[in-house]
Amino acid sequence: MRITDSISQAFLNLRQKKLRTFLTTFGVVIGIGALVCMFAFGQGIQQSITENFEKMELFHYITVFSATDRQSSRFDHHDYDPDEPDLAEPPAAGDDSPGPILDDALIERIRRLPGVETVFAEIRFPILVRFGGRENFCLAQVLDAEVCRSGLLQLRAGDYYSDQDPNGLLVRDSLLRRLRIRDPQAALGQTLELCSLRIDLGILNPWKLAAIWRGERLPFSTESYRFQVRGVTGRSGTGGAVPIRSDVFLSPRAARPIKKINLTSLREFFPSPDQARGYSTLSVKVAGMEDIETVQGQLDDWHLNTFALIDRLEEFKKGFLFMDMFLFAIGMIAITVAALGIINTMTMSILERYKEIGIMKAVGAAHRDVKTIFFFECGAIGLLGGLFGLLLGIAVSLIINQVINHFAVQQGNPYMDYFRFPAWLCLGGIAFSILISLLAGIYPTYRAAAVDPVVALRHD
Amino acid sequence: MNDASWIITSDLTKVYQTASVRLAALQGVNLRLGRGRFIGITGASGSGKSTLLNLLGGLDRPTRGTISVAGESISGLGRRELSLYRRHRVGMIFQSFNLIGSYTAADNVALPLLFDGVPKKLRRQRAAALLEEMGLADRMHHRPAELSGGEQQRVAIARALVNRPAILLADEPTGNLDSKTSLRIVTQLAHMQQGQNLTVLMISHEQALLKMVAHEIYCLEDGRIIEQETLRSEP
Repeated sequence: MRITDSISQAFLNLRQKKLRTFLTTFGVVIGIGALVCMFAFGQGIQQSITENFEKMELFHYITVFSATDRQSSRFDHHDYDPDEPDLAEPPAAGDDSPGPILDDALIERIRRLPGVETVFAEIRFPILVRFGGRENFCLAQVLDAEVCRSGLLQLRAGDYYSDQDPNGLLVRDSLLRRLRIRDPQAALGQTLELCSLRIDLGILNPWKLAAIWRGERLPFSTESYRFQVRGVTGRSGTGGAVPIRSDVFLSPRAARPIKKINLTSLREFFPSPDQARGYSTLSVKVAGMEDIETVQGQLDDWHLNTFALIDRLEEFKKGFLFMDMFLFAIGMIAITVAALGIINTMTMSILERYKEIGIMKAVGAAHRDVKTIFFFECGAIGLLGGLFGLLLGIAVSLIINQVINHFAVQQGNPYMDYFRFPAWLCLGGIAFSILISLLAGIYPTYRAAAVDPVVALRHD
Repeated sequence: MNDASWIITSDLTKVYQTASVRLAALQGVNLRLGRGRFIGITGASGSGKSTLLNLLGGLDRPTRGTISVAGESISGLGRRELSLYRRHRVGMIFQSFNLIGSYTAADNVALPLLFDGVPKKLRRQRAAALLEEMGLADRMHHRPAELSGGEQQRVAIARALVNRPAILLADEPTGNLDSKTSLRIVTQLAHMQQGQNLTVLMISHEQALLKMVAHEIYCLEDGRIIEQETLRSEP
């Protein structure tokens, strides 16, 4: 029997039972649609995260911790292993120094390393921003004007502040939206009130101390400062290796008078004598990802503790793999139901076409011919199910993507493609559909081939 | 092997065995049938006529004994060879026509060619030629439900002959037809048999009809041949 005849025969036979073929194929469509949707979601999330990380240049950053801070933060990790050699073993002779102090001199030294683009101390603190009767709680970050101009922050309106500017700042457009300022241009020159948190000296007052003791209030008070908006930044800048977005950026001079609690590290509350003289964390931005290894090696040689997000890339990939497997398992439930539908349909079809199979055998059809006819019918269901399942998956994904983005954009988040359909997923989805349909067809097909023609020809 | 002993059955026995019942449908049937002969087979219901045809047609295997056609034993053929034997050497027609309801007359006729890998165009040509020969040129695209009993049986004959077989096995082909149509079918079969030098084995309860066309008539009872009558000696 020719392949072309087998294909046309399969479609001819399926056309005879339109409703049943439709319902069976629809089951496969749902299954493949769900599976494709799941995989596309996994792909979309992975790609979006990776792309965003790359766009935000997070893989270009090395975070430098003060020696004390990094060691204690390691001990905080739940996966701390006391047998880990670099922790269990005492530092080598001559290597027992806590490392250099993270001060401006070190920043300058790092800046001169080949491949280093920018170095800045990470100083972030919580503030309450008030404007036009509205207020919003966010993070402020201290950055040199030069660092701002290095490409770290992209301007949407206005200009960068200068290092000599005592009361200028940059705000992110999303903060403006939260303050109901739609037009970034309209924000330029406006005065924002920043309220910083500081330890309330009133705790010395016994009445207040009693209230704090009873949990009725926190031992903090706020202090207000007024700043003018010089520029509005877009979505690209993260202001450091840690993917926390700051909403307000100030020069060191402008930030100096603000009484603040630095939230970069809890070590700020318990500073070591050395740390009191320096910063707790530095962010080093390298020109390209290929510079990470060299620069990080140099910093390690200087006895600095470093962390680069790119080191975690393999762990991210492992996490994505687990996510894919989880989504695949969910999609397989729908596929299993569809496969049972095919087995049921094909078995029913054999019972209905029992005599027809007998006739075919009587006129010379071999076992293989009967199997081929039924296998191609299963394959045809798989092909149609795969094609339409893919279309359904894409359609549903587009709708879900629109709905998610509708709300996400309203919340000030960037538009993202949560679903991706690479060519391998589209072709693989169809191929998988055919494969599953053929596997589901094994039992019915062998049953059809085993029909005794003598019995079948007597069958009414 | 010569033309006078073209089909030989020796001690042909078929026993159907269920858990509690043992039924001997054929018991030691010995036949020597000549090539190009029209053989009539008659007998009461359950006498083993259809079983004999099924065995000769390679649809079933004997419990004991052998069948040889043109010197080749078919009782020892494997599954694949048996299907090729059915496809190339034998054509079968049945009392209930056994056409596939969802296929047109032309598709039904062309069905054996489909399994032989014959190209679609050639299949259509051969089916059209045979249907025309059967007087059904205008019924080619009709489905069995749209045809009369006689027309359906003629389609079945065309299907049986499409692979140009040497043996035509007809299991009560006139059983569901009126006498006038029966006569037409039998005449047509005889015409085909003579024209193509076919060996025809036809089961029928209508002795008169068989006597009109058959060279020999065999009568079966309880799985045994109890009577043989030679009506014509010429091929």
